[in-house]
Amino acid sequence: MWYAEVILLGLVVGVLVGLMGIGGGVVLVPAMVYLLHMDQHVAQGTSLFLQLPPLGLAALLVYWRKKQVDLPAGAICALGFLFGGFFGSKIAIRMDSRDLRGAFGIFIMVAAVLLWRKSRPRAAAGKIDA
Amino acid sequence: MILVVACVVGVCAGLFGVGGGVLLVPLLVLLLGFDQHTAQGTSLVALVPPTGLLAFINYAGAGEVRWVAGLLIMPGVVLGGLYGSRLAQKMAPAQMRRVFAGILFALGLWQVLQVWFTRHA
Repeated sequence: MWYAEVILLGLVVGVLVGLMGIGGGVVLVPAMVYLLHMDQHVAQGTSLFLQLPPLGLAALLVYWRKKQVDLPAGAICALGFLFGGFFGSKIAIRMDSRDLRGAFGIFIMVAAVLLWRKSRPRAAAGKIDA
Repeated sequence: MILVVACVVGVCAGLFGVGGGVLLVPLLVLLLGFDQHTAQGTSLVALVPPTGLLAFINYAGAGEVRWVAGLLIMPGVVLGGLYGSRLAQKMAPAQMRRVFAGILFALGLWQVLQVWFTRHA
């Protein structure tokens, strides 16, 4: 059943959101393309739509209680996302859907390599020196 | 420095319809020396305001949004997110992250190959 499939997809992605501190779109977009058979553009637009409410808020509170949050840095990043996102989406809408799907594939491969690399250095102290 | 990183990530976010955390978390750790848990917590802060709003408006204007599917996915992400963040506190997520990175890489490779082969078919 389509509804159950979609709701279950949200739950699975949500666990990753809390576990990895990510928005979830990087998993949602390919899932919507392959499982729900959406066009690449529609999947990306729908991903942005469902991330409008603060879905990670509950997860954030858990990190907040452990003092694992840098609020000013987070605020600056939010600003960059807002305006960066505007220009990125302009580019995407003009692209061919198939080209966009290929570019998305390359993007998540790069993200995967970065994710893999950061687990190498054993930073014992965990001090922020930015 | 943080603003430059955030703007670059933001362009990717709009281009690929993602929140940006998947790129922000490793960059905070690699470039700015954040601790892993703090990077994840900070990334979640950056995702609380509707940062994708301007990008979303562009997609909605182009008619590229499936509203019902979007609404149905929301509640699961909230509940799952709560569970996942508790789980992250309990474990040293180095291995989990590698599994996730592996899956992500395979997914990306699959998409690239698929596009490549349909083009030459």
